[in-house]
Amino acid sequence: MIRAGRICKSTIRTFVLLGLTCPFTMAAQTISPAATEHLKAARGAEAQKQFDVAVREYRKVTEIEPAFAGGFVSLGQASMEQHDFAGAVAPLKHALELDSNLVPAHQLLGYALLAQGYAAEAIPHLEQAHEQNALGIAQVETGQFAEAITNLQAALRKRPNDPDLLYYLGRASGLLSKQSIDTLQALYPDSARASQSMAENYFVLRQMDQAQKQYEQALKARPDTPNLHLELGQVFAMTSRWPQAEEQFRAEVKLQPGNAEAAYRLGDALLHQGKAREARTELERSDKLQPQMPETLYSLGKAALLDGDAATAGKAWRNLLSVEKEGELAAQTHFALAGLYRKQGKMPEADLEMKEFQKLQNATSQSPASPPQ
Amino acid sequence: MLGRLLQLGYVFALVAATTPGSAPVLELKPPRGIDFTLQNSPTPQKYLIETMPGGVALLDYNNDGLLDVFLVNGGHVSSPMPVPDNFDRHDPRYWNRLYRQNKDGSFTDVTEQAGLANAGDGNYGIGVAVGDYDNDGYPDLYVTSYGKNILYHNNGDGTFTDVTAKAGVAAGGWSVSAGFFDYDNDGKLDLFVTRYMEWDTQHSKDCGGNFHTYCPPGEFPRTTNILYHNRGDGTFEDVSERSGIAAKKGHGLGVAFADYDGDGFTDIYVANDGMQQYLFHNNGNGTFKEVGMEAGAALNVDGGPLSGMGVVFQDYDNDGRPDVIVTTLPRQTYAVFHNDGQGSFSDRGLQTGITMLSGVTSGWGVGLEDFDNDGQKDLFVAQGHVLDNVEKIDPSLHYLEPTLLAFNHGGRFEPADPGTDALVAARGTAFGDINNDGSIDVVTTVLGGHPQVFMNRGGSAHWLTISLRGTRSNRDGLGARVLVNGQSRFATTAGSYASANDKRVHFGLGSAKSAKVEVFWPSGTHQTINDVTADQFLEVREPEHP
Repeated sequence: MIRAGRICKSTIRTFVLLGLTCPFTMAAQTISPAATEHLKAARGAEAQKQFDVAVREYRKVTEIEPAFAGGFVSLGQASMEQHDFAGAVAPLKHALELDSNLVPAHQLLGYALLAQGYAAEAIPHLEQAHEQNALGIAQVETGQFAEAITNLQAALRKRPNDPDLLYYLGRASGLLSKQSIDTLQALYPDSARASQSMAENYFVLRQMDQAQKQYEQALKARPDTPNLHLELGQVFAMTSRWPQAEEQFRAEVKLQPGNAEAAYRLGDALLHQGKAREARTELERSDKLQPQMPETLYSLGKAALLDGDAATAGKAWRNLLSVEKEGELAAQTHFALAGLYRKQGKMPEADLEMKEFQKLQNATSQSPASPPQ
Repeated sequence: MLGRLLQLGYVFALVAATTPGSAPVLELKPPRGIDFTLQNSPTPQKYLIETMPGGVALLDYNNDGLLDVFLVNGGHVSSPMPVPDNFDRHDPRYWNRLYRQNKDGSFTDVTEQAGLANAGDGNYGIGVAVGDYDNDGYPDLYVTSYGKNILYHNNGDGTFTDVTAKAGVAAGGWSVSAGFFDYDNDGKLDLFVTRYMEWDTQHSKDCGGNFHTYCPPGEFPRTTNILYHNRGDGTFEDVSERSGIAAKKGHGLGVAFADYDGDGFTDIYVANDGMQQYLFHNNGNGTFKEVGMEAGAALNVDGGPLSGMGVVFQDYDNDGRPDVIVTTLPRQTYAVFHNDGQGSFSDRGLQTGITMLSGVTSGWGVGLEDFDNDGQKDLFVAQGHVLDNVEKIDPSLHYLEPTLLAFNHGGRFEPADPGTDALVAARGTAFGDINNDGSIDVVTTVLGGHPQVFMNRGGSAHWLTISLRGTRSNRDGLGARVLVNGQSRFATTAGSYASANDKRVHFGLGSAKSAKVEVFWPSGTHQTINDVTADQFLEVREPEHP
């Protein structure tokens, strides 16, 4: 069983506070003049962000009017506004005892419980309030990853590119993936898919010997499984065993002649061995299957140049730059074009490409995402 | 061996199996009398110097016709290092060593009697250069260090004298490779020294997280290389600034020389670590211009920087123009800069097959030598990762690596059996015909271990080895371009990593029993000798009058 216990509590709290951006507004209800005075004082204090004063005044309202559910909701909200989530729970629960259909009370109670790590308890309240964002987060916490993904995706449709929601959606997806793989390995430890998933883990950890063994085991169990040869080929490529990589990519291409990545990988393996003509054929095929893939176009240019066809190389690289204007691959392509033009004696063009190359290189090196040298 | 191959997996996939029944060309053969251990002294402090030594030189210091071996030692590194630095070089365990070859092929340690004991307690040894800077007929030694470099003048009687102070070539800082060459063609050998970075033991860094590890060069400031001009009176002048060499700071490791554009002046290629490589074009007027980028010899095929360590500057495809091969770290692949003429290079890693041979290895010492005498220069690379705990960072890489030997088949390099499956952390490498059998042998250094001596079993193919005797040019003819039966070779002792090669110029002739020899001397003299009989050591003397 996967637990999401490592999800950052401070992130949840931040999210909870964001959830308070639509403060609860009490429905009009007749209350005594004394309670009304305290209510006004409480609202005034809230407006000035004097939440401790607001809490004190709302508490007096609930003492004078113990059957006034709205007073308890406001008290809970004010407590939450001063980050006292534990203190908010009792008045919110009391509000729901007075009126179990009070949606704002469910919403706030759900948030207050979630902020304190009581995700399972928070879920029914968040469901009542239709709070899909917080509900998704709570479901990540309780291991309901599939449900969490559904709710977080719905929330993201309402708040596109929200960083917290994106984070939790990614987290939930990763955990669901791991949960599925764990189940697979527990139920079918000797299956081809179990070996494949193990191999993928080893690959990520760069433990290539173990990855190779697991892929080979998977292939022995089910030789026609799509992508197994492709992935094993990448193990060989990563360790510079290009003939073996070629063999695996060829097997994948045979299984999946319509798979553009398999054709690209085969072309790249051939290119690394200096087999220009064959590489070019596969890369052109990949380009037809999935046009305008920058990696394919870059390698196609290299293969064409190696094959002595500078015109095709230039065309592929210029084509690449029409779809990919920035980033490392674009920089590499400008560099390649500079070399090509230099050999053709087109020095102004070569200089221009070098300038573009250097510009992009500088941009990449200044990017905070790039690791220190 | 098969079991070992299977056990070690892909590392050995790069080493081609030898054809059944045929012996490998090279044979790892520890020669009698060489008991040297390279003391790099690794510590938990991960001082970067610990992983960078050491050089080896093949030279005939006593002119008895037999190559002798000089090995540079590191020193003792304390953890942490005291102030000032003290590497205990007075302790015999940390001496550099000179081994004289005896007539029976064994060696005798002559370090002490040659006056080469104790290289100074403040110096941690790195590399060596060889050249007859005073044209007295005896090769001199220049030892590079972290600390001060030392110039040993060969007295001609089996002894050397430390003349560093008088010569003015101590350099300082952290020097790595050096080489003698005559940049102004005045007949006197000048000296170029690469320097790695601005670094000292008190400002070292540890780049590990949960464990200690050495830092990449980018963690430290770049520094300048040094060019010393030979005044001809036993002293040198530092012309780094005036010549333009000091205008380019870098992380210099390897250095090699050749006249790449045929203008009659020797150019300089510097292998820089973790950045662009430098090609210093000799302007012929005492100045140099760094042209690596515009010549297409600075970055890899994808425009990326290289962790350049070793370098060789020779003509691998017999088109008459010297090419450059730079050894690097894994995942970069060794760079092959083919000289296309007109001052322009292009990356030929894919065409030559070298990309395929070097994806997961770290190269240091490197040479293009015709090991099988078929008339095509083969590739030898001493390998071993720079980090002694690289497996913790990337389990698919290894600190100890196999030796790379690749035979040249028409410009395409195919892996061959180097004669050993030993995994080592190799560094310096020197090439030469140790036993004078007409085949090139190799000596590599190994961190914390004994040097590896690869003896060439030879074969039936013919060969020719030329000793140049300059008269108007420098005495050993360094810088001459020698053409033999369509092959070309640039006469130099420099190249590889921190090491110095046999000064003789060797050619494999294949089935040819005679050769046409042409020498383009640094003085400008062009000399041709026809119908030279194969399988001999030929001395070619430069005409005293053009």
